[in-house]
Amino acid sequence: MNLLAVVDTSVKKEGLQDLTIQRAISSVPFAGRYRLIDFPLSNLVNSGVNTVGVFPSSPFASLLDHIGVGKSWDLDRRKNGLFFLPITQRDGGLSTVGAFAGLEEHMQFFTKSIQPYAIVTNGFVVNQLDFREMLNHHIESGADITEAVSEGVSLKNYILSKDLLVELIQTHRDKNVVSVEDVVNLKKSPYTFNQYEYKGYFAIIDSVQSYFQASMGLLDEENRKQLFLPGRPIYTKVKDEPPTRYVTGSSVKRALIANGSTIMGEVSDSIISRAVNIKKNARLEKCIIMQKCVIEENCDLSYVIADKDVYIGEGVVLHGTAEQPIVLRKGEKVTKEDMR
Amino acid sequence: MNDKVIAMLLAGGQGSRLKSLTYTIAKPALPFGGKYRIIDFPLSNCTNSGIETVGVLTQYQPHVLHQYIGLGTPWDLDRRNGGVTMLPPYAEIDGIKWYAGTASAIYQNISFLKSCDPAYVLILSGDHIYKMDYEALVDYHKEHEADVTISVLEVPWEDASRFGVVNVNDSMDVMEFDEKPEKPKSNLASMGVYVFKWEKLKEYLETDNVNEASSHDFGKDILPAMLEKGEKMVAYPFKGYWKDVGTVESLWEANMDLLDLNSGLNLHDPGWRIFSSNPQLPPQVINETGDVQASMVNEGCVISGKVFKSVIFQNVTIEEEASVSECVVMSGAKIRKGAKLHRAVVPPRLDVPEGFEIPGQQDEVILLTQEQLDEWKERVGK
Repeated sequence: MNLLAVVDTSVKKEGLQDLTIQRAISSVPFAGRYRLIDFPLSNLVNSGVNTVGVFPSSPFASLLDHIGVGKSWDLDRRKNGLFFLPITQRDGGLSTVGAFAGLEEHMQFFTKSIQPYAIVTNGFVVNQLDFREMLNHHIESGADITEAVSEGVSLKNYILSKDLLVELIQTHRDKNVVSVEDVVNLKKSPYTFNQYEYKGYFAIIDSVQSYFQASMGLLDEENRKQLFLPGRPIYTKVKDEPPTRYVTGSSVKRALIANGSTIMGEVSDSIISRAVNIKKNARLEKCIIMQKCVIEENCDLSYVIADKDVYIGEGVVLHGTAEQPIVLRKGEKVTKEDMR
Repeated sequence: MNDKVIAMLLAGGQGSRLKSLTYTIAKPALPFGGKYRIIDFPLSNCTNSGIETVGVLTQYQPHVLHQYIGLGTPWDLDRRNGGVTMLPPYAEIDGIKWYAGTASAIYQNISFLKSCDPAYVLILSGDHIYKMDYEALVDYHKEHEADVTISVLEVPWEDASRFGVVNVNDSMDVMEFDEKPEKPKSNLASMGVYVFKWEKLKEYLETDNVNEASSHDFGKDILPAMLEKGEKMVAYPFKGYWKDVGTVESLWEANMDLLDLNSGLNLHDPGWRIFSSNPQLPPQVINETGDVQASMVNEGCVISGKVFKSVIFQNVTIEEEASVSECVVMSGAKIRKGAKLHRAVVPPRLDVPEGFEIPGQQDEVILLTQEQLDEWKERVGK
């Protein structure tokens, strides 16, 4: 495969702050058992790309814990494989994809690799891009840079020759550009552009609202069919959770549920991550509950996003809206007393 | 001082009473509990007990097991030193010898054991579902300065004659060992889990090997011979869930036990995880028409019908108006629209046709087969 990958996970989006205080956007949990990074990494390996540089900015402990040496994606290789290349400068990472200042810290990754082309991808646009097909399109077009688009929206995935990428990294200050995305958006540009039209599922996760919307969208079978393709599985770090237990008296409708949970309450139109405990008579509607949360008896929740390890005490009532879901931050404890 | 423990896991069993479930796989590879294979239990017990060298002895239909265990990664047994070693029968200069009995299987791998140079050898069986701390067993064995320790379990008196039964004195010394006695004198059953001092095991295996009258079995030959010679044999009383899944019915029962919160078999205990290979599948989906009660469901399932008191493995589809109650539905099976099943074990990837029903109120557990479905289709003209 003559493509190497830059996964820019240093990108920062203001609107997602509540979910990204202790982690990069790309390690935000999604669809019950995944992290956002799983989608680009799986697309890369499903497209035959096996030289992958992940460029995170601080805080990246959560991301590193998740991807490790890349075993879940078969990227733990003697030759090529996964390279974890953190950006050390303070406040590294921009709001645009492919920040040159970050890539510049790891020039060796580019100079040592032999692949003639580079794909610059990101950790916040969920899709099923086939990079092999996109590369062919790029080569045929003869353009300098190819951008993936869908329905007129940019997926912020770019293919260019490695030489051009290296040149841009080395001269970006003189050229007054900060990232690959920035170069593509220049009004006057010395480069030629090509667009690759992608058909299939995509979701851009750049705010709590878009996160909530995309999550709820997965309850639609059509979306799931496009995202979970049998021939192109989404890989993630495996956990040895047992199957989920549905206790007598529980009621679950229109829900996506990961393993290891115990459900005694009532759940509808919701996404439940691994090892969640929903106690008797708790009622959840339009909620996203992440790993290891505990929802005590008689809670009544709607439009709530509970981050990892959240504890919701007995009888708590929380109602958000589709526009403004209530976000409970990682590890937060909410009790009835807090409500008064 | 050398106190290295190595485990030898006997995984060559056929399990012929499990019928079509074990035509192409060995009994230890049998699916269980929505995502596991039976061998996950002894292997995970090893991981959780800190045992880092495990030999897995295979013979009957070994391919699935070999592929499944691989390098032992799910159980942290992919080690530089030790780890898992698959031990099928092999050819020697004198030809191939099949494993004739449990003891001969171990004897034929004596060079493997010698190369490991252990102080203690733990003999395990790949046929049983239980969670056990082998470290506690080995500690007990050391404290009692025993030559061999047998892990035993109290069973109902009426079942005792199905097992190797031990009679003990007050200090748990084994006085008698009866393999499947007609009239058991005790209800302490051997679980087929033994710890030996390596030196003693080697001595008795070598003697047994040249004894032409021997059936080369631990329960029938090795243990009685050791008792006769007055070696120190003690019993370790195991408390907890333990099940030998020898029949379709007992396999079904063990699955149902998982749904009973008081059965003692808790898979949701993070302190004693059962490790398994984890297929990469999306979360399970419960649709508008789905209704799941008192059940366990694994990843990749799409449930649009009724599920009651059942264990549903990965990638199972249960369509609208279909219903399963007290069933074990194995991976990739499809229960089509309106099909109704009660007390059925559905083998992997079986496609149960629309409207299928077993006439009459059937109470005994049945293993559904493709032939049965074809017969039904012919009868109803589909």
